[in-house]
Parts: sequence; C-alpha cells; structure tokens
Amino acid sequence: MQGNIACAEGALAAGCRFFGGYPITPSTEVAEHMAKMMPKVGGVFIQMEDEIASISSIIGASWTGVKAMTATSGPGFSLMMENIGYAAITETPIVIINVQRGGPSTGQPTMSAQGDMMQCRFGSHGDFSIIALTPSTVQEMYELTVKAFNLAEEFRCPVFLMSDETIGHMRERIEIPDSVDVVNRKELEKGKLPYETDADNPVPGFPTFGHGHRVHVTGLTHDARGYPDTTNHKTHSDLVRRLVGKVESKRHEIADYDIAGTDAEIVFLTYGPATRTVRQIMKDSPDLKIGHINLRIVWPFPENVLKEFPNAKVFIVPEMNMGQIGREVARHTPVKVVYLPKLGGDMHTPQDLMEAYDREKALIGGGN
Amino acid sequence: MKLIIDESRCKGCNLCTLVCPYKIFREGSRLNEKGIVVPEFNGPERCTNCRLQKLYGRRLCGMCQLTCPDQAIKWVEEERFEDMKVVIEY
Amino acid sequence: MPSVSEWYRADRMPHIFCTGCGNGTVLNCTLQAASDMGWEIDDTVFVSGIGCSSRASGYTAADSLHTTHGRALAFATGVKMAHPEFNVVVFTGDGDLSAIGGNHFIHACRRNIDMTVICMNNMIYGMTGGQGSPCTPRGAFSTTTPYGAQEPTFDLAELAVAAGANYVSRWTTYHVKQLTDSIKTGMETPGLSFIETMSQCPTSYGRKNKLRQPLDMIEYLRDHSILISKKRRLEAEGKVIPDTTFAVGEFVRRSRPVMGLKR
Repeated sequence: MQGNIACAEGALAAGCRFFGGYPITPSTEVAEHMAKMMPKVGGVFIQMEDEIASISSIIGASWTGVKAMTATSGPGFSLMMENIGYAAITETPIVIINVQRGGPSTGQPTMSAQGDMMQCRFGSHGDFSIIALTPSTVQEMYELTVKAFNLAEEFRCPVFLMSDETIGHMRERIEIPDSVDVVNRKELEKGKLPYETDADNPVPGFPTFGHGHRVHVTGLTHDARGYPDTTNHKTHSDLVRRLVGKVESKRHEIADYDIAGTDAEIVFLTYGPATRTVRQIMKDSPDLKIGHINLRIVWPFPENVLKEFPNAKVFIVPEMNMGQIGREVARHTPVKVVYLPKLGGDMHTPQDLMEAYDREKALIGGGN
Repeated sequence: MKLIIDESRCKGCNLCTLVCPYKIFREGSRLNEKGIVVPEFNGPERCTNCRLQKLYGRRLCGMCQLTCPDQAIKWVEEERFEDMKVVIEY
Repeated sequence: MPSVSEWYRADRMPHIFCTGCGNGTVLNCTLQAASDMGWEIDDTVFVSGIGCSSRASGYTAADSLHTTHGRALAFATGVKMAHPEFNVVVFTGDGDLSAIGGNHFIHACRRNIDMTVICMNNMIYGMTGGQGSPCTPRGAFSTTTPYGAQEPTFDLAELAVAAGANYVSRWTTYHVKQLTDSIKTGMETPGLSFIETMSQCPTSYGRKNKLRQPLDMIEYLRDHSILISKKRRLEAEGKVIPDTTFAVGEFVRRSRPVMGLKR
C-alpha cells in the first residue's frame, strides 16, 4: 500500500468524516482516496478553491462536532499558516497532513524534503503550541494518522503529520488492525463557560455547535466566556500561556520515540526517512557501536530522550533540510551536535551517514 | 403599549427622527450622563404601534425599531394605574 | 419559537459600532427575518470574517464563528457541508468579501451552498480607519484615496448573479422593510442567497465625503438608489443612468442545483 493511501485509511479508521482539500503534489493521493472513500462511510469530501479555504472548511466542520482533516504540501502549507493560528487560539481539533517537498516556493514538487519542520511549529504569528508527528514507514503513516486524530481531540490543537514525498509515495506491505483505539471529543459540561479551565485541566470541554452552548468563537483574544477582550493584559497573557502550556507541559507524556545503543558515544537522531538509513546501517553492521534515536513526535520536542545517552560525545542529526531540528537538539544538550543536511530531494544513503560517523569517530579518537 | 428609548444603548445618531412616518421623534436638547444627546418624543401618542398593536395582534410599522442601529427602541407594556380605594371620613 | 429580542446576545450590548453605523440596522433586519422564519436559535450558526460588519455575529445569541479576514464563506462551507441541518448565515463586509475573500465568494456562489450571505457594504474599510475598498465609488475620498478613488468599483450583486447564486438582492439601510423581507426571502430560497446592503459609515466615509451626519449618509443612500426594474427600463429606452447611482431590488431568484440542502 502507498504511504498516502495508508494515511487516508488511518484517518478513516480514526473517525475522520470531513475532508477539505486542494490538489498538490505530492499529497494528492490522500485527497483522491478520501474522495473515493468518504461517500462510502457517510462522510463529506469537498475540494475547495485553495488551501486557505481547505483549512477554513475543516475548522468550520470541526466545530459541528466531526473529525476533520486536510492534506497538503509546502506551498499549500504556507497558505494555511493564517488559519493554523486561528485553530490554535480557538482550540479547534484539526489534523493537517503535510507531505513535504523541496522548497522554498514551488521548489521541487516531486522530490522529498523536510524543510517545513520549523514552519509547522512557528509558522503562524504569535505564541502557541502544536503537535507534529513524523512517520518513517508506511505502517506508521497509518498508525500515526490515527494517533494524530487522538492527540487533536485530547489537546484541542492543530496536529500535523509531517510526512515527506519519500514516505508518502513509498509502497510497503502493512498490517491494518481490525480496530484502532480512538479518542472521541469531550463535550463541554452544561453550565460551564466555553473556555473555563483550571490548572489541572488546561484543555476545556468542546462546546459543539447546535448543542445549546450558544458559544461565540473568535480569533480575537477572548475570556472564559469566549467573548473578545482584546485590551486586557491579563486575559491575553493567561490565554497564551495556557495555549502553549497545555501541550508543552505534557511533552514527556506525549513523547513517542525508539532508542537503541544507549551506551554509544556517537548517536544518530533521526525522524522520517533517515531513520530507515540508520536502521539499515545497524542491520548491515551489527558490531558497529552507534546509538539511535527515532522520533515519531518531534513537536513538542522530548528533550529528555537525550539524557538516555550518558556516554554520548556527539549527536549526528541527518535531516533533509539545513538543520532545523538539529538546532533544537543543540538547544537542549551541552554535547556536540553535528548537522547533516541532505538537500536536492534524495534521502540519506548509508554512505552519507558512515562518512559522518567515521569523521566524528576520528575526532573523538579511541577504540570502537 | 408605550415606546421607550433605552438611554444606556442610544448613541444619539437621530436616525429615528428621519424614518418615523409620524415624526414622533425630534432631536434632543440635553446631554445625558453618558454625554449623548438622546432624541426626545414629540407627540408619541401618534405612534400607531403604541395604540393598535394589541388590537391587531401584530407589529405595525416598527420602522424606528428596525432602523435603530443601537437596539435602543422598544415597546413596553404600560403600567396600569393601581386601583385606589377612596376612604371618605365623615 | 423565539421572539426577536431573544436572538440578541443581551450581555454584549451596547455594541462597538459607532454612532449612526448601519451595521446595527442590518443586524436588526437579519434577526427580525430569522425570527419571522421561525428558526430555532440552537439550529442556527452565524459566521463572519473580519471587519466592523463581522463583529455582528458576536451580538447574536446563536452559536457564532468569528473567523479570519475574508475566510468567512470558506468556514461557513465547512459548517454547512458537515452539518446541513444548521441554518447558516454569513455576515461580511465589502472589503472582507470582495477583496481578500473574493475567491471564496465566487466559489461559494458557484457551489450554491444553502446559506444566506449578508454583505454590509459601507464602501470603505471602517475598522482600520477608513481606507479605500473595491467598493469605494470613483472620486470618493478615503485615507488611501486622498485625491479621490481612481479605480472602478465592484458591483457585488452582479458578481453574485454571474457566479451562480440562487437569490441576489441589494437594498440599503434606509429600506429596512424591504431589506427584512429580502433577507427572509433569501433564507427561504434553497441555495446561496446573497443580500448586499448599502450601509452608512458616517465616521470614516462620511467624514471624508461631506456626509458627516448619519442622516446625511442615509439620505445619500436613499437618493442614489434606483430600483432595478426602473434601471432596466431606462436602459431599454436608451436613457443615460448616472454612474453614481446603484440599483436596488431583487436581481435574481432561480433554482440552480444546490449543495448542502437539509437532509
């Protein structure tokens, strides 16, 4: 099964019943499969006039109580930035699939890249927090899409599946379970204000339209009633701190990663396609002493994972960008961090990684 | 029925003085406590809706209420005079 | 069936609109029409974008979605397609709808989604302090057209007709009865109903164009409107119609295929 199709199947299994999209290489197969499947499951597929409208429509749909998603790639993702911020401040659960391609601008439509990793976290203006998942296999395209919906419902924030052309267009055999664990939306209790929260429960219940909550949803800074309160310092400060804190404070619970070789001095930190390359090296050379971190959730960044490698002398971060997550790693550790960018559209080869390994090993010195 | 202007909502635009077919509003002359010159009544007994809404069982005219941008015009029930018992002392 | 006063969100009053702003009048007419339709408040969703006009959704008692600039129709499309049982009403302004939201506007009309779109056309960007919009009449002054607007104006009602809306009309805030009836007809008509309301902005538009008083602006709107039937008759007779006037009345009522009908 193709990665993009697996993603669409995962969304359907998670209960997605609204898809608003716009064609863009290399994510189009998600929309095509949704167009085929949605009528069969009683959902809605709509092809909007652009990506701004796509994300607008899924936010609108989400407020009626359905699970909604869209799929896009770099240029469309840039257009969506405006309403990603809107979804963040209104706390709308939505899932956005970004099958990344080479940028900036139109760039390399048919080639792979991971250049949107910072954009998904910081692309929209203002402070907020999101969750970004990074699949490295077709199986994970399925599983992490399901997980993306569950996290969106749990945290009421935009959740991104940051895939790329390599995984999106890869064909692999996958196992689809008979059923998946699904988190459904927590309705706002009657009598509570729409954005009424306390320190223990920073995520308010969802006041679905038509359920009598008579909520006013606005992208303006709002108080617990949901009413605009744009000039009150405290209202704004409390709101933004809660939007960031509700996700960041739970980053160790949310964290999802694999680790191997925790006593190694040279550690590869990867997400997406480079994970496959490191696994290939470890399979080909089982005696090689390397550590490996595979992140399935990059944002919020689980910095505690770095502490699992007490002997680490260098973290090598192979990415298909100029070092976006590498910089985040460097922010959290005193250990040397080596960025290993690969641009142009191909994933890292084992030779690329081994060259870096040999270079760093020579610098560290000592035996294997 | 009685027509009232809600002074807490009126912003003094005087559109009611233009649209009322019976000219029952006129520009006011005094500032209220919010610093707004609220229109005054000029023969409100000419208002058809005040007199006939009960009789016809529906809203008549209502131009001023629809036009008022500040939702300040409304009709309220007139308070009945309380029945008073006159005690005559001899 | 809720009375018209129940449709207002009373704890938000008085609203933020300036003295004499037409938006409050349009809000009255819309809520009167919704009340006349016998709609339930909990079955209705008001959607709006950004701008003075778009604050109107916050003064309705129903669920309301105050969205980003120009995107109201795209959000409304999502709401209506995901849940066709809702009555969806969109409040928007001339800048919101025709400039930044122009693409969403023509596609919503093309899809003919069953909702009512009410555009409060005050011929200016009011919220940001009176900049020229695509609907600013030629020669009119604003902060970004200090020598008079040079660009031709957008006729939104004709645009909606061309793009395929099932019901299109235009009235002014002077014609409150006709406007209310027109909004009600739009709500009754399946498909996208577009009601453009020429509205006064004495604070930003009037101040720059010698129409400082709300009364002057209302009289301007009254005097420059011409019934569409009369306009068409004059055109047929080959008479010249001053380009400062705008047509009011019902532009089209038809039954093209509709999306998002109630199940």
